[in-house]
Amino acid sequence: MLNWLGQQVVLYWDIFKYLIPAVPWTILITVCSFALALLLGLTIGILRISGHKPISSLAGIYINVIRGVPLLVQIFFIYFGLGGILNLDRFTAGVLAVGICYSAYLAEIFRSGIAAIAHGQHEAALSLGMTRFQTLRYVILPQSLRIVIPPIANEFIASLKDSSLVSIIGMRELTRAGREYYSQYFVDFQTWFLVGLIYLVMTISLSRLVKYLERIYAVKGFGIAR
Amino acid sequence: MMIEIENLVCRFGGTVAVDNVSMTVEKGEVVVIIGPSGAGKSTLIRCMNALEAFESGRIIIDGITVDKDHKHIHELRLEVGMVFQQFNLFPHLNVIDNITLAQKVVRKRSRGEAERKAMKLLETVNLTDKVDAYPEQLSGGQKQRVAIARALAMDPKVMLFDEVTSALDPEMIGEVLEVMKRLASAGMTMVIVTHEIGFAREAADRVIFMDDGKIVEYGPPSGVIDNPIEPRTREFLSKVL
Repeated sequence: MLNWLGQQVVLYWDIFKYLIPAVPWTILITVCSFALALLLGLTIGILRISGHKPISSLAGIYINVIRGVPLLVQIFFIYFGLGGILNLDRFTAGVLAVGICYSAYLAEIFRSGIAAIAHGQHEAALSLGMTRFQTLRYVILPQSLRIVIPPIANEFIASLKDSSLVSIIGMRELTRAGREYYSQYFVDFQTWFLVGLIYLVMTISLSRLVKYLERIYAVKGFGIAR
Repeated sequence: MMIEIENLVCRFGGTVAVDNVSMTVEKGEVVVIIGPSGAGKSTLIRCMNALEAFESGRIIIDGITVDKDHKHIHELRLEVGMVFQQFNLFPHLNVIDNITLAQKVVRKRSRGEAERKAMKLLETVNLTDKVDAYPEQLSGGQKQRVAIARALAMDPKVMLFDEVTSALDPEMIGEVLEVMKRLASAGMTMVIVTHEIGFAREAADRVIFMDDGKIVEYGPPSGVIDNPIEPRTREFLSKVL
């Protein structure tokens, strides 16, 4: 019994050492693709409510098309389809695919966050002589951010999990490392248990971090009277 | 002439909110617009700040013309300050930042200059002790006085007041009207939509009675309020006085 337990510990440790170097890649893919998603999402979200009919329709089509196609298919399309033409490496293709996919979801979150701000806020800013851009930048977005931060944090955690799909094009991140270990040593239960556990540790720490940040950045002028 | 409105028509869907209205306001004049709900008073005053799109006619304020093409809206708004029924203070900014934001980003004033201006205005509205407060910590009357200070900080040539006391508790109406009276006697050109007939009688140089999108009667308060000619004006005043 003790012998078996000892073997298991050694085995898990061995797998762990094999997987750990891949974790920074998972984090890097997630952070890069989410940065792209934030930038694109905010832009598309603003265009969606620009009030300019053709532009807002185009933004709507972008959102609906991207949200209607599975991420896995988008990864294949960008890596094998576009990648063939544009000569994209695995990392770039993966980041692009995850980033573009999540930008559509973030665009909807930004759009609803902006729409949630009372119309009087726009009118007050415009009547003070601010341009539409200044109104958005100084009056609307600072208020919207407080509304959109929790759902955006959820999307960030979801994108960390979805980064595992990039393993399919041979990008060596955590899930790919698990597959490699398995195909070398044929240890299935322990390998996938540990891969799952490492994802779980990352997602739980992230959601804890988000809760903590929300608490310390609970902002003056909103909700809780002091 | 500070404000000239020529044949203004503003329509919402099928209904005509402002129906071919022409009027003028002289520099330093205080014009109070009264009338029943739905008469088009608010729409008219909101057109003066191009917050409402209109169908035909034009508005000239201090030489800046806005017609149905709605060009020069920005230039117009730079000269016109507006105070709203619902205050519309920026909830994420404290009192001083509410008053300095537009000064800094629109008038390009330095922080120090904008804050000096804000402090001076807070003094005139008696709120120097609320500099660091956030809007949610203020009473309605205090919020509205901050909103007035915020509009004045842009050095407007005209001030528009759209039912600014309608959302206030009765005991706070006086403090806001007091500030407006002082502003009027300081020579500001003002257009005021209100239900406070007493205030109109006291502060207005001219009263306009509107009904059904049209100007029914206008003249000094001693005429329109105390001796109205039109039956519709009389009927309205008999209900509210």
